[in-house]
Amino acid sequence: MKMPPFELLMPTSLEQALELAGEFIAAGEEFDWIAGGTDLIPNYKWHLNPKANVISLAKVAEMSELSSTHIGGMVRLHDLAESELTHPLLKDAAGSIASVMIRRSGTVGGNLCLDTRCYWFNQSEDWRESIEWCHKCECGTDADCRVIPNQNTLCVATYQADLAPALLCLNATIHLASSNGKREMLLSDFFELDGMTRNVLQPGELVTHITLPTESSELTGCYHKLTLRESWDFPEAGIAAAWKLNGEEISTLKIASTGLESIPRVHDEEVAAVLPEWSGKESIEILSESLRKSIKPVNNTGLKPNYRRKMVKVLARRCLNQIMHE
Amino acid sequence: MTDEEEMVGYKQQPGKLPFSRPGSGGKDQFSTLQDDEMIPKSQGGKLSQPWGTHRHDELVTSTSIGNRTPLIDGRYKVTGQAKYGDDIRLSNELIGKILRSPHHFARIKSIDTSAAEALDGVVAIATGVDASNAFGVLPVTKDEHALAISLVRHVGDLVAAVAAEDESTALHALQLIEVEYEVLDSIHDMKDGLEDSENPIHDRGKYHIGEANIQKRVFQEFGEVEKMTENAEASHHSNWTFRGVNHGFTEPHATVANWDPRGRLTVYTPQQVPHYLHRSLADVLEIPMHQINVYRTFVGGGFGGKSDPFPHEMCAAILARKSGRPVRITFDREEVFFVNRGRHPSHIEMNLHADSQGRLCGVETDALIDGGAFASFGHVTTYYNGVLHTAPYEIGAFHYTGARVWTNKPASGAMRGHGAVNSRCAFEVGLDDLSNKLQVDPMTFRLANLLPPLSATITGFRITSTGMRECLEKVRKASDWDERFRKLPLGHGIGVGCGFFISGSGLPIHWDPNKFPHATVHLKIDMDGGVTIHTGAADIGQGSDTVVAQSVAEVLGLPLDMIRVRSQESDTAPVDLGSYSSRVTFMNANAAISAAMKIRQELLDATAVITGADPKKLVLGDRRIYDKRDPAVGVSYLEALHKAQEERGALVASGAYRTPPMGRAHKGAAAGLAPAYSFSAYVAEVKVDVETGQTSVINVWAAHDCGKALNPLAVEGQIIGSCHMGLGQVLSEEMVYGRTGHLLNGNLLDYKIPTVHEMPKVYPIIVESNDPEGPFGAKEAGEGPLLPILPAVCNAVFDAIGVRVNELPITPDRMHRNIEKLCREQGISDPLELETPRLKLSPLQESLANRAEEHEKRDIARRNNDDIEPYHNGALFGFTATMPADEQSDDWKVSVIPSQEYIDNPRLAGSAWKHTERRHRGDDA
Repeated sequence: MKMPPFELLMPTSLEQALELAGEFIAAGEEFDWIAGGTDLIPNYKWHLNPKANVISLAKVAEMSELSSTHIGGMVRLHDLAESELTHPLLKDAAGSIASVMIRRSGTVGGNLCLDTRCYWFNQSEDWRESIEWCHKCECGTDADCRVIPNQNTLCVATYQADLAPALLCLNATIHLASSNGKREMLLSDFFELDGMTRNVLQPGELVTHITLPTESSELTGCYHKLTLRESWDFPEAGIAAAWKLNGEEISTLKIASTGLESIPRVHDEEVAAVLPEWSGKESIEILSESLRKSIKPVNNTGLKPNYRRKMVKVLARRCLNQIMHE
Repeated sequence: MTDEEEMVGYKQQPGKLPFSRPGSGGKDQFSTLQDDEMIPKSQGGKLSQPWGTHRHDELVTSTSIGNRTPLIDGRYKVTGQAKYGDDIRLSNELIGKILRSPHHFARIKSIDTSAAEALDGVVAIATGVDASNAFGVLPVTKDEHALAISLVRHVGDLVAAVAAEDESTALHALQLIEVEYEVLDSIHDMKDGLEDSENPIHDRGKYHIGEANIQKRVFQEFGEVEKMTENAEASHHSNWTFRGVNHGFTEPHATVANWDPRGRLTVYTPQQVPHYLHRSLADVLEIPMHQINVYRTFVGGGFGGKSDPFPHEMCAAILARKSGRPVRITFDREEVFFVNRGRHPSHIEMNLHADSQGRLCGVETDALIDGGAFASFGHVTTYYNGVLHTAPYEIGAFHYTGARVWTNKPASGAMRGHGAVNSRCAFEVGLDDLSNKLQVDPMTFRLANLLPPLSATITGFRITSTGMRECLEKVRKASDWDERFRKLPLGHGIGVGCGFFISGSGLPIHWDPNKFPHATVHLKIDMDGGVTIHTGAADIGQGSDTVVAQSVAEVLGLPLDMIRVRSQESDTAPVDLGSYSSRVTFMNANAAISAAMKIRQELLDATAVITGADPKKLVLGDRRIYDKRDPAVGVSYLEALHKAQEERGALVASGAYRTPPMGRAHKGAAAGLAPAYSFSAYVAEVKVDVETGQTSVINVWAAHDCGKALNPLAVEGQIIGSCHMGLGQVLSEEMVYGRTGHLLNGNLLDYKIPTVHEMPKVYPIIVESNDPEGPFGAKEAGEGPLLPILPAVCNAVFDAIGVRVNELPITPDRMHRNIEKLCREQGISDPLELETPRLKLSPLQESLANRAEEHEKRDIARRNNDDIEPYHNGALFGFTATMPADEQSDDWKVSVIPSQEYIDNPRLAGSAWKHTERRHRGDDA
């Protein structure tokens, strides 16, 4: 695979990085951010929407800050998984990503902004030409979606990052910056249902860091995911749960999913329907079944969608069973 | 007096200068004593020989054979000095890139390369017209071209090739080549290949079968076929689906071609079979073979995937000829999947019948295999799917129908365990099911039905040594089988599977074995004492260089550092058929031994001249030749060598190996014939998560009979590596084709090779059955060990949860579907409540155990008896053992042509016989 040529820029501060981005935008030139590169570089090698300019954040030291409530966008996944300051649920999720070599390189920001994946998209250029392209990388052909034909409006590629559901359960806030200024929002508002845009990031904007509410340390949680192999594979389904017990009673319960649709999802509605009359095993069964029903994966990853959907129930049950074992 | 002292004052006279001090020659100055533990008892040593003596016993010097020996090229690899295909860098090289078909099946109407030619930096462009001669690994099915002539047959088929100054320019040039196609209807389901088609993918001329896409069909009927169902007490029926798998070797194909100033072509390439490439290059380029040097680079894994002559190798040579400069072509992983040659996707129907005495009275196999777009080794694969499960068991009847069809997919070919793996899996799972139905222990069932050593199978294969019984007994003990089988809790199980594989194909593809040998080895020893081995055997990582070095070292009593192997260039190597069919150790080491024996004799004669001792009483030790009874009488290796070199200079010797005459006379009798066979038995222990369907293999006890482990370290490596590769096919690996017929997972993220996490603990157990014709008793260990892992895991899954698998790989989604089905059958909703299979033994168990015990005595008596009577398959069914059963009864069929009755009601692959070959139709004028 021959990498398409690009200009690499290495700013040493956030300010400089945003300034460079601003300049590209002003000049009408396209560019990509690169953090750990474990997602971007393979995609570039496959000629998946490569840009002529790439701004690396590797030397932006201020983005690597890590504490129990502040996680810089450039914190390496390995460091997050190994740090004593990390919430156990996050540790779980971070430690399960890909392989140790990829975690050493991959970053928190990069993982959250992971490009969506699809069998019809993550292929070589020749291959995609052979199927006459697809909506996500149409190369000016106005190509249709290959997963669900006859609907060239929405991309259904799958979001397969592991950190998002854990952070969603911990009520994380995401902090963005661009040359136009900074903004922050709940992580649940960050994602936008479309496999192409994926999130609210505007051109020139990046994820500087994540913050967790201090109460998040009171939450207990777990993350279960479905992969064919224990290492390397992207999750075909992932469920995170976090809860707080008040004696026997559950005072807080958050559930989020990944690897199933174009964005990760928080399942507050399904939880709210069951939580007021929580009765242990029976409620777990009802809740995991309603989670299964609420999620609609499509046929674009390794395992078949109906199976992945069924596994949502099993994974959710396994997460929730841990509440009973506390 | 030490050597040092001896040298002091040594009077140097002209012409008498010593080359080295006596006794040396190797790194270590002093020779070591023979290790009695490694010298066979027949030679006065202490090595016990429970399997009898061997013709190579007297050659044992306790130097190398049987030692755990790191591969001699290992350090090159770990230090990065090994040069693989893409490491070859010639000055002034060009980069070659290939334009591939975007269509499954299309006719090329025109190719316009003018824009690409005009691009700066493009030096040469080739298309199909540049080389129209067909080639193929088998002379009977040459159906490939360097570049498509008029038809492209799969997405990724080669259309044009460009050589340019750099990769970017070459890639740019590809985009400028305009090709106009007429798209044809493509075939993706192998079942469609059996039907007549408007545009068959290939045209075989008068040999074309109907107008269908059938590349090869086989019909075989042996034994009491009519009676097998009426005699059956229990029967097994299953229909299997096996997905295609790829070798997944580390190194993608890469090749460099260069025409030197003398007009000779050198092709540097990681080839398993350099000689067939040599022939094909000559055919395609239309130049004599002597003008070509095939240089085998280090091979980063082959497993059968680098054993065909490949179109890209032709392309590199064509581009190099056109441009007058070296051309390097290196594949992307996707291109590796396009060229494929992996294991055939298959539909296999397996029917087994056992009679009231627990004998295997019938085996009916029907195998439809998907060849993809080209023939490759498919002719052989079609036979192997049947004939390679006619042993190690004695069977009453064998009925096989096989067909290989062309489809518009990357070509299938030979892959580790060639043709035997899928049907072996179906067969061994069938045996497990039969034992279940007969309520007997599957170990005992197998032990009571084994063919003895020195016997003939139902199709006439000659079994020499067999350690099958010992393999089974060893894994039974090691896995604590009797305490655990059918006794473990839900989701936890153990299962057994066996394997049987050829140790070298008995028939050289290109010539009559009676005329030319299979393997030739040259030795050259000059005054320095080091031995240069010239061999064409291709070291593909399996250690063939090491084993040939060990064999020579053993015979001559030399340390390995005195042996150097030159096996890379066809210019210097005698012809060898290459690394396939697990032939190298058996054939090449035998050839090496016979060459070394000639040198050995010369050294003994020279020693006799120097010492005056009786040459018959002389033995070779570590760099020393001496009188067996009086070790003080003797000379160093160098002294003997220099004596032998007097008057003539360097010693040279040539040795060769040819197979003995074997096999019966029916059509296809040669397929599966081998001078020896390997046997293996594995027990796998699995855990199945009944809620998710995820299967993990925890332990594998793997016993393999390799005759004699010349290098136990390498044998264990092969066993463990085979387990890994087989596990991939059983658990996760498959080439997935989407609804448009495109390969969806042509990359190593989505093509799921098991990682270290999925790897069970493997306990390799080596069984040494001392093959009479093998080098020092050795047989193969490279492919056979893969076979048993698949059925062992499938049978363990049944033990764990009661699911009888019939589709591989058993990915969690497939397994989950099976579990849901089983839950419905048992009327439960929670899979955690599933009942696991339990075994209640029937009275037959005892009689089988008794028979197994008798047979064990029979086998031991046979293997230690030089004057043995023949044993033909059929004796267990009451026929006289000493002659083939078909000579005793008219009911015992031997037929390779289907009856009209069969053709009227065929099985799936058998339906290939409803077509008539064009030449027999009489309407093809």
